[in-house]
Amino acid sequence: MDGLLAAIEGFWIAQELRFARWSYAAVNTAHVLGIALLVGAILPLDLRLLGLWRRVPHGDLARVLVPVAAAGLALAAATGALLFSVRASEYGVMPVVWLKGALIATGAGAALLLHRAHGLELAAAGRRRLAAAGALSMTCWLGALVCGRLIAFLGD
Amino acid sequence: MRKIWLSVLSLAAGLAVAGTAAAHHGWAWTTGENKELTGVVEEARLGNPHGDVMLNVDGTVWTVEVGQPWRNDRAGVKEGDIAPGVEMRVIGEPSADPDETRLKVERFFIGDREYILYPGRD
Repeated sequence: MDGLLAAIEGFWIAQELRFARWSYAAVNTAHVLGIALLVGAILPLDLRLLGLWRRVPHGDLARVLVPVAAAGLALAAATGALLFSVRASEYGVMPVVWLKGALIATGAGAALLLHRAHGLELAAAGRRRLAAAGALSMTCWLGALVCGRLIAFLGD
Repeated sequence: MRKIWLSVLSLAAGLAVAGTAAAHHGWAWTTGENKELTGVVEEARLGNPHGDVMLNVDGTVWTVEVGQPWRNDRAGVKEGDIAPGVEMRVIGEPSADPDETRLKVERFFIGDREYILYPGRD
């Protein structure tokens, strides 16, 4: 584990970013953009699944918001991996980082299962199933956001 | 449905409280008073997002936070200046938690040379 984390830190991009000014800032900014797209898109959909804005068909919302959230997740994950690599041996041993990873895996896994069963627009899913999915999704993504922000405020 | 809303609300409240917990960013977590430490560098972990130096001060190891790369560069810190075995005198603000041996450096000396990380602070 320590060897793996050290190897990640030794990767040339990690070394480069570690002492860079603007490229580190750019990766940081792109990470925030990814989170903004992901959370900004998925929260309205989660709230709709929980019963808000009933007059708006949830399929129409899903068609727009799910791809945006997925693109945000992809961007946040790619830039997050880079940010992690810069201090892998420090971040890799923080419980809050592992919790964040578990929340992201749960949120992404639940979304994949939900859409595999009911399609992008969640056409045939029951109201209770959708409400439960919305609550879980909200928990995971807001929790991941808080854990991510806490990394800068916790540590050894 | 009401149950779900209640759990969502209580979760949000819990997260809000967690979000205001401890802090290493900025200066909110420090005492607001300067402290000076002189010690020998045991380990230096420089680079983004900010550098941590393990400073042995009379047998107690302090974690002293130096700047991001650009701040250290601006202060005139060169590669190899902060390295194991080097004696440093650092001035900055310690953690407000007395059990935590952590200090955020405002300026420091190696030999007679002064390096000013935060020119605006006393």
